[in-house]
Amino acid sequence: MSHGNRWRWFSPWYFLFPFLVVSSLLIVWPTLVTAGLAFTDFNAVSAPVWVGLDNFLRLAQSEIVRTGLVNSGIFVALAVPLRTAGALGMALLLRGRERPFGVLRGVVYLPTVIPEAAYALIWLWILNPVYGPLNLLLGAVGLPAINWLTDPVYARLGMVILATFQIGEGFVLLLAARETIAQDVYEAAAIDGADRWRAFRYITMPLLLPWLLLLVGRDLLVSLQNTFAPSFIITYGGPYYATTFVPLLVYEMAFDFLELGMAAALLLFVLLVTGLITLAITDFSVVKE
Amino acid sequence: MKNRLFSFLGIVFLVFVQGCTPPPPAVTFSVFGDPAELAAYESLVEAFHEQNPQIKVQLQHIPSQSDYRRRLATAFSAGTPPDVMLINYRRFASFAGQGGLEPLDTYIEQSEIINRSDFFPIALSSFEWRERLWCVPQNVSSLVVYYNRDLFDEAGVSYPEDNWRWEDFMRAAQELTQDHDRDGQIDQYGAGIAPNLFRLAPFIWQDGLDIVDDPLQPSRLTLDQPEVLTVFQRFIALQTVDQVVPNANAEAAEPSENRWLNGGLAMYFNSRRGVPTYRTIDSFEWDVVRLPITQDEWIGILHSDAYCLAAAAENKEAAWQFIEFANGVQGQTIVARSGRTVPSRPDVAQSPAFLDGLPPANAQTFIDTVDQLRGVPVMAGWTAIEEITGKEIERAFYGQVSAEEAAAAAIELTAPYFENNQ
Amino acid sequence: MTRGSRHQIGRIARLLAASVIALAFFLPFYWAVVISLRPLGSPPPSTIVWWPSEAQWSNYTAIFSIVPFARYFLNSVRVAAVAVPLTWFFASITGFGLSRLPYRWRRLLVPLMAIMLVIPGVAFWIIRFRVFQFFGLLDTLWALIAPAFMGGNPLFILLFYWTFRRIPQDLYEAARMDGASWWQVWVYIGSPLSRATGAAVVVLAFVKFWSDFTDPVLYIFDTGKYTLPVGLQLIRQLDQTNIPLLMVGAVFMILPVLVVFITMQRVFWRERPTGLFPTRSRARRERI
Repeated sequence: MSHGNRWRWFSPWYFLFPFLVVSSLLIVWPTLVTAGLAFTDFNAVSAPVWVGLDNFLRLAQSEIVRTGLVNSGIFVALAVPLRTAGALGMALLLRGRERPFGVLRGVVYLPTVIPEAAYALIWLWILNPVYGPLNLLLGAVGLPAINWLTDPVYARLGMVILATFQIGEGFVLLLAARETIAQDVYEAAAIDGADRWRAFRYITMPLLLPWLLLLVGRDLLVSLQNTFAPSFIITYGGPYYATTFVPLLVYEMAFDFLELGMAAALLLFVLLVTGLITLAITDFSVVKE
Repeated sequence: MKNRLFSFLGIVFLVFVQGCTPPPPAVTFSVFGDPAELAAYESLVEAFHEQNPQIKVQLQHIPSQSDYRRRLATAFSAGTPPDVMLINYRRFASFAGQGGLEPLDTYIEQSEIINRSDFFPIALSSFEWRERLWCVPQNVSSLVVYYNRDLFDEAGVSYPEDNWRWEDFMRAAQELTQDHDRDGQIDQYGAGIAPNLFRLAPFIWQDGLDIVDDPLQPSRLTLDQPEVLTVFQRFIALQTVDQVVPNANAEAAEPSENRWLNGGLAMYFNSRRGVPTYRTIDSFEWDVVRLPITQDEWIGILHSDAYCLAAAAENKEAAWQFIEFANGVQGQTIVARSGRTVPSRPDVAQSPAFLDGLPPANAQTFIDTVDQLRGVPVMAGWTAIEEITGKEIERAFYGQVSAEEAAAAAIELTAPYFENNQ
Repeated sequence: MTRGSRHQIGRIARLLAASVIALAFFLPFYWAVVISLRPLGSPPPSTIVWWPSEAQWSNYTAIFSIVPFARYFLNSVRVAAVAVPLTWFFASITGFGLSRLPYRWRRLLVPLMAIMLVIPGVAFWIIRFRVFQFFGLLDTLWALIAPAFMGGNPLFILLFYWTFRRIPQDLYEAARMDGASWWQVWVYIGSPLSRATGAAVVVLAFVKFWSDFTDPVLYIFDTGKYTLPVGLQLIRQLDQTNIPLLMVGAVFMILPVLVVFITMQRVFWRERPTGLFPTRSRARRERI
């Protein structure tokens, strides 16, 4: 560490410098401009024209936008509890140092790291109503085939199912959190005569609760946004708007219909909602400290 | 200390901008399509370079149409669209109406290479809007019926001919829809057609009606008018009543075009664009025939893409030279050889470049019907109108709602786009 | 004895249950491989196939002659090879710098980063086009690499941030007392102690750059510079329903991710991933 003094001037702020510059260019500035476009009529070609809150009024009146918001709401309401429960269940099942557990942990994490376009393409095949392995499997055990791609209810459910396998991040978070609970707490409880369920109910759950809340909050945001690739590739929003989620709607408005002002307004609305959720989560001391 | 700070900044900056490219090429040219089309455009650019070594054309090829639209919108928004781009006549108005495209009337009038009279009139006129010519058409495809000759032979049905009527089509479709193993599941469909406004429109026209109230100043769709509704109902009856086309589930399991390719569908409605893929079929013989006629007057629907010049292009002269070349005999010949398009120039369309002896044998029908084609209205919001209406037609087609309900919903949901156009 | 064996039985039961469930996570990929081995263009099977009767391994070579897959693959490798180390470096130093700031700044910047994390990508496309144009990065692979210079994704920075906050503060203090600069603290203390986080970030960054199918079609013009996801799009244009070929493409996209994932997994689990996530101080005390 002989060169230490030469670099003494280097305060922690300098470490942040590249990030501050590049993120201003690639994130902050683009977001501010997009937010500004929300108050304009912009069709990609001629200059944006200021229209005040017009776009928001049109959004409020649009039936399709309402459908998109409802769809996203249904998706989140189904996917978030399922994903959280799945992550918790797998984390509790797969703790342990033996090799098989390590391999299984990797397998559970797998769908999370698969490129989303490839993942959606695979599911397009799996959900095929006649030739898809899922329906063939249902048929093999004597269950009726399900119209995954053509029935509005099952199309939405299909989207939820494929999202339920992408829980790797929450899974690792809870796995790590579970590790922090000391074994002697359970041993003491066992001596007091607590069974497994009681131990789970009165020790594991309360201690994991802050992480579960964090996870639920984070999942609200992730689930809202991650619907784009599957709905774009598998159903293109169909059947009849059943899987037209907000991100697909923004995309369609902006790039199919060239209503970039409207798209920006919808985006800004989503951003405000997600921003509020984010602030609520980061308010937990767990995140900041 | 200050010096160190600056050198640090300098390094960060250098690392960031490293990899700068040389100045952009003189002319950028954007297209989309499959690998076969890419090859055709590559040879087009190559031939242009041979004759005009001083102009560099950069071909920008984007595989999918949706990505292509996204790129165009992004590039236009950023103020730097490609200099030359291929756009469909149903879409160019969104760009032209706002001053994004350069009107080309004066260019074509002064050109020594191409003239208005070189092109099929319908192709040119579909890119005329607000009394200007906006793009130079590359092709004039139309909707035809591709049919599997082997399936017709097996069923003992005579091949369709260019004067066939809707009743002939229905009879053939019914006879060719078969359940070979009698398990209640149809294994062979008589026909396949995409349920959307673009496929429905020609049948509405043939009945002497229209899809909008006024094709020049459209203010609403007419799907709810009783006569139009009758045609609409006849169209969806293909699936809901006659069941000669795949139902929603069968379509989701194996799309009509795939069934057609695999020999499980006898008549498929498509434009010229399917030909390169269909030429790879070796399990059966196929050909094309024009649309069946429903009333007295035969009308087909125009498909056409054109080379458009961006108003923001820096070197318009060079860009125009490329458009000229691409639409000259040599340029159109190169693209015609891909088999994917029907050339917009009668001279190239009648040449061996297009009538190349490869299937379809009846390729002449694409040329013979050009004068009886009609286009959908040219207006800025048309893409949205077609997309939204398509979703309504689709659910009526698959029997989820009645034609009346679908028509009413389409009219309500598309109203804002007509309003914006006023 | 009874307690021990009951414990053992519980463990085995847990393993069995976990295996059955984990199978469901694995089956989609297995099916993708099975389908990719069917003859190209063949009609789909109507019974469940566990292994194709005649596996067409030639599909995996055929794809290279149908689209310029090799070139796309190479471009993707080039992007990832440059972007992933850069992402690791910038995310690490940013997270480190952030963790050394006074509380009032952290309280401001951490939520800000969390918000940046949730802005949908659509919001960036148009302006990034302009920014890249300004810096002359349009139509260069640098346009795809650029986010690496801000640590790839605010999440990666936050992961490092939480890790560095967890390292006992005395370690830093001692090094500073010895006259070490912050650089040296990062090099000799921060960096080695964040290896597990680093491994996680490398995997996630690799996935991010490897699977990006939006940026190439927006910012790359020259088809010779396209990356693998564009190749996948090209196959879809060719014949939307040629499922075997599409799955070959999907497998090609997934394989490198798997390789990186499995390699990094060793580091990741060995280093105990607990440092990865925010830990409440109470829980920390219990562990020590």
